[in-house]
Amino acid sequence: MTRGLISPSEWGTPAVRRTVRLVQALLLGALLLTGLGPVLWLAKAAVTPTQDTLRTPLSLFPSGFDLANLATAWTRVEIDRYFLNTVVIAAGSWLVQLVVATTAGYALAILRPRYGKLVTAVVLGTLFVPSIVLLVPLYLTVVRSGMINTFWAVWLPAGASAFNVVLVQRFFANLPREVLEAARVDGAGPVRVFWSVVLPPSRPILGVVSVFAVVASWKDFLWPLLVLPDPAVQPLSVRLPALQRYVELDVFLAALAISSVIPVALFLVFQRLFLQSGALEGAVKG
Amino acid sequence: MAVQSPVRAVAAVPPPPRAPRRRRSPVTWVRRGGLTTLLFLVPLLVVFGVFSWAPIVQSVVMSFQRTNLVGPVTFVGLDNFAQVLGDPLPWTAVRNTLWFAVLALVFGYPIPLVAAVLISEVRQRKGLFSALAYLPVVVPPVVAVLLWKFFYDASPSGVFNTVLGWAGLGPWQWLQDPGSAMPALVLEATWAAAGGTVIIYLAALAGVPAEQYEAAEIDGAGIWRKIWHVTLPRLRGVLLVTFILQIIGTAQVFLEPFLFTGGGPANSTMTILLLIYDYAFASSLGGDYGAATALSIMLAVVLAVLSALYLRVTKSWSAS
Amino acid sequence: MKSYRLTAAALVLPLVLTACGSSPGDELNADGKVVLTVAMDAGLEPKAIEAFNARVADFEKANPDVDVKPQEYTWTAATFTAQLAGGTAPDVLTVPFTDGRGLIERRQIADISGRVAGLPYASSLNPVVAKAGQSADGKQWAMPIAAYGQALHYNRTLFTQAGLDPDKPPATWAEIRSAARQISERTGQAGYAQMTQGNTGGWILTTLDYAFGGRTEKLNGDTAEATVDSPEMTEVLTTLRAMRWDDNSMGANFLYDWAGINQDFAAGRIGMYVSGGGNYGNLVTQNGLKPADYGVAALPLASKPDAGVLGGGTLAVVSSGTGELGKDAAVKWIDFYYMGKLTNQDAAVADAKTLADTKQPVGVPALPVVDRATYDKQQEWVKQYVNVPLGQMKPYTDRMFDQPLVTEPTRSTQEVYKILDTTVQTLLTDRGADVAALLAKADADAQATMGRG
Repeated sequence: MTRGLISPSEWGTPAVRRTVRLVQALLLGALLLTGLGPVLWLAKAAVTPTQDTLRTPLSLFPSGFDLANLATAWTRVEIDRYFLNTVVIAAGSWLVQLVVATTAGYALAILRPRYGKLVTAVVLGTLFVPSIVLLVPLYLTVVRSGMINTFWAVWLPAGASAFNVVLVQRFFANLPREVLEAARVDGAGPVRVFWSVVLPPSRPILGVVSVFAVVASWKDFLWPLLVLPDPAVQPLSVRLPALQRYVELDVFLAALAISSVIPVALFLVFQRLFLQSGALEGAVKG
Repeated sequence: MAVQSPVRAVAAVPPPPRAPRRRRSPVTWVRRGGLTTLLFLVPLLVVFGVFSWAPIVQSVVMSFQRTNLVGPVTFVGLDNFAQVLGDPLPWTAVRNTLWFAVLALVFGYPIPLVAAVLISEVRQRKGLFSALAYLPVVVPPVVAVLLWKFFYDASPSGVFNTVLGWAGLGPWQWLQDPGSAMPALVLEATWAAAGGTVIIYLAALAGVPAEQYEAAEIDGAGIWRKIWHVTLPRLRGVLLVTFILQIIGTAQVFLEPFLFTGGGPANSTMTILLLIYDYAFASSLGGDYGAATALSIMLAVVLAVLSALYLRVTKSWSAS
Repeated sequence: MKSYRLTAAALVLPLVLTACGSSPGDELNADGKVVLTVAMDAGLEPKAIEAFNARVADFEKANPDVDVKPQEYTWTAATFTAQLAGGTAPDVLTVPFTDGRGLIERRQIADISGRVAGLPYASSLNPVVAKAGQSADGKQWAMPIAAYGQALHYNRTLFTQAGLDPDKPPATWAEIRSAARQISERTGQAGYAQMTQGNTGGWILTTLDYAFGGRTEKLNGDTAEATVDSPEMTEVLTTLRAMRWDDNSMGANFLYDWAGINQDFAAGRIGMYVSGGGNYGNLVTQNGLKPADYGVAALPLASKPDAGVLGGGTLAVVSSGTGELGKDAAVKWIDFYYMGKLTNQDAAVADAKTLADTKQPVGVPALPVVDRATYDKQQEWVKQYVNVPLGQMKPYTDRMFDQPLVTEPTRSTQEVYKILDTTVQTLLTDRGADVAALLAKADADAQATMGRG
């Protein structure tokens, strides 16, 4: 095991060891309380009747369970439908982003047309324009083109991510030229080279782009709120605040719990992947 | 780590060799694959053209216009900007947003750093620590806000007030008081985001070479001196990046004030982005799109400067 | 320079594409019938949709030259303009009274006054109610289809628990104050709560101002003067401040909007609050209110000549993109579908039956849209389907016709409401708030908004 800040000899000192262990134990307690606490409370509240949650929010089931909450949330509140919408929106955004980033990355990094520099510059320029500037005109574009209330209104704008393009382009530019040349000599056309030579070794960067795309789509709120006013196509993030208005508290908390279960479960299963891409986020953006 | 390489590639790549210039006719252009190249660029050109470049241009144009989308459009010069600057509300929003940013730095900046340094020294079950720290990040942000909104119930039977009651404190007003509403928002935002920052710092801490610590120890440095002279200097780049990213992020805070308080009580949590939203989409009869775009362009200029600064920093950081 | 042309094309293309949206005027289908899209409430139960479609079929039989297309639609002021521009708004839709005047002023809805004048009940519309759909020169641009007055809703169970008589609700503001205090002290719940968010704060504050005998605006021909800073409004704020800070009887939530306060009231956390007289429907269907808890009383009015009840309601409007044939068809549809429920026995009975079958409330208090005689007749027709606790509504229904009804302010209504949101939020969350200063500021802000609008 590699050593860290504290040297083995320092670990040997009882005073140091005890202090560090104590502080770490306190940290673990704090993490359990803040990290796990709210999640567990939500799980408890999901099966507690409204009046108990309101009167004694921190007692454990003073008047019994109410498992029906979960069923009601799933069926009457139609969490299943909104959950499906969330998945469809994330999948579409992911696909659009991947298509745009890989084709553009290939054209700009490998095929390299003369006007490529100009395109790269204009794409890079958008990195400096915060998305907030786009809010109103983009909304009007979506409205005028009749895309409102369709998933396209979320999928397509998601593709305009300069960050993805740059990331993929730089990665492609670093692929060994010899392999590309060899494929070309063997008579492979640009499409074949793209599909069978460039994409397979690029899986790591495509994985990174995918994680960012899915996480961003899962968290997005303002944009789908604006362009998906019809409840039938809304994702969970938009629907939940609206549900609060007409669903009883216990059922609502059950709905919140159901909405968190899947991401939390995914996280527990794919912990390593999540933490790795989380760390990457610091290295590349935020 | 296999995924690290592409990231390095982002910043430091030598420019590809220039293609030789030659005169070409359209036929040779097509035969040499010019058309194929163009076809590969179509997704980018269409998506960026319609959903990025055109709206950016349109945004600038609209900031000089007044329109209700139905009637005729009139150019009003700098009127929208004058209206926004003359209205007291945007200034309140700027103050609140800055206040949010400051509080977010006070709460959210040191805590993850301290936690990361401690976790990196954990010898067993390090994974448990980082997983617990990261768990709030996984909870969907909307769920987190709605849950905390319930926790913040200001009656004595609210969740937080019950806990305070055990300690003989409270009940506190949380979101129901102009003074405490903003700190309450920041507290939730910090809870939701701190885990992500912890993971970033952990990765950076793992990159501190053991030899540097050993060298410091030979010079007789204790734990505190090692933190001060080795750890922190090595983290300088990451710390600066998370700092700038946090500023850029907090300048665009929307979800928390929108869902927690709607900007209240008494505009004490009205942020710039929420105000832009209000201008454009919450006015009863046709948004004031001119004011909304004017304000967003002013915000954009500030953020663009920060982004440029960020790019410069990351460039010099990854070059070193 | 190929590259530059390319980029230019990429930039121009979307603008061209987006420029061609809907064309104004009439849309005809393949059979040459005029197509009319009509709003249908979103989220209806299958049975209710079936009933709606049956009405559409009846209408098309009676009007063979019209093709009616129902569209699920919920009015949101914020996005209506954009929907209008994008051609996605239905031809016929319903909007709250509050937004009617603004829509008319900005010509965002079509002028159907000529066609409305031809309807048999046009001249007998309840004048106060009709005003909400009229332009400044008195033409009926929009058709009122439902009307209500503000009322005091109260929780009978909490009243009983607090030792108050649920059959004798407060009749003055002093009684409201003491009842609120008693509820608060004996049950621990909010005695009296008030909306403050999303323009509802201004809406309720204006309601109270009217009840105390004040008005928030004064019209002199074309110009309007803000009269927010008045002795009546001062009295309102002083009363609220005493309830909040001296009695501590207003609970712990001061960021309520309409949906939020309904929810907490239905959950038994609020003793009394002020809202539209027909609120029972929402409380029961969306918030699971136990009918036994519910009580409603007339809003106490000060004994001043101008004291009155703020009225509200729903207007049926035709969106401005509709062509001439479409407007003809639209007015026929409004007459047939919305007004039919109020003026035609068969339509009224069929509607009440559908509501009762789908467990929606029938018999919720409402004010007459047409004259009182028509109203009474309609009540008689649907009597057998009534499924609400009428007895518990008597404190309101006994007096609602005698209370003077006053329309909402007309100038920059929502903007002024928004300003008053801040006023009431400050009052309820800042112990040191100075009533005089608050009102002076609100008055100046309101005046500035009216001048600009």
